[in-house]
Amino acid sequence: MLKRDDVVKLVRVVAETRDIEISCDECFERLDIFTEMELSGVKASAAMPLVGDHLDKCADCRSEFEALLSASRST
Amino acid sequence: MRERTNEQWLADLRGPNPDEALADLYDQLVRGLRAGLRSYGGGVDANAEDFAQEALIKITGNLGSFRGESRFTTWAQKIAMNVALTELKRRRWRDVSLQDLFARREAGDRGPADTQLTPEQLALQNTVLHELRRMVDEELTDRQREAVVAVLLEGMPISEVARRMGTNQNALYKLLHDARKKLKRRMEAAGLSPQEVLAVFDEG
Repeated sequence: MLKRDDVVKLVRVVAETRDIEISCDECFERLDIFTEMELSGVKASAAMPLVGDHLDKCADCRSEFEALLSASRST
Repeated sequence: MRERTNEQWLADLRGPNPDEALADLYDQLVRGLRAGLRSYGGGVDANAEDFAQEALIKITGNLGSFRGESRFTTWAQKIAMNVALTELKRRRWRDVSLQDLFARREAGDRGPADTQLTPEQLALQNTVLHELRRMVDEELTDRQREAVVAVLLEGMPISEVARRMGTNQNALYKLLHDARKKLKRRMEAAGLSPQEVLAVFDEG
């Protein structure tokens, strides 16, 4: 059952929904390329908007991206 | 560790004597895991070697899927992060079942309206809330409703909800995407714009 406190959360994610979104597997497939692009100073989400959009929406994939970015910066 | 090109990594790992390359890759994965997962607390440090070992098996078993579009080590580290984070999420959420999550939610505070609201604002919020509940009930399947509540409203990781629903992360993302699309279309059809709803709930 939807509660009053849920409304803002739900409506925000619904508003950001696009007809075409890539899945987690498709995002993972390109995550190394996206990360290297970001490291090289290119705005990766402009060059690979579907990956950027997925990372905005999926906390699981975003945490992998952030960890990979930190790891790549340090090694 | 000696520097290798992508081609050298592949040749060394596939060659007759892969031990040196395996050891170098392992060291690099451990360092990367420690650096990348620092924010997950001290326990990760002790597990980094186990995660790296498990990742090495996946990496060497999947060399054929490396297409050379990034550095080999970035590709390998990506797999190691996936192994590590999947396990860390599993541990963190180990004791939470979906039934518990839903039961706690139902028993919890039902979010009383802000007492500062005027009767008109409160009536408007109630109307919108009622309408949204109807859309969720009518548009979504039981599985979609469960996933929406667990992932989008309660913030449980998709991979963990997927495990409990007998599916995988990829399929559950798609199921949620379909659910969001249905709600979006229904809201559009009803002339209910997100901006208006957010304004009614004072978040515009």
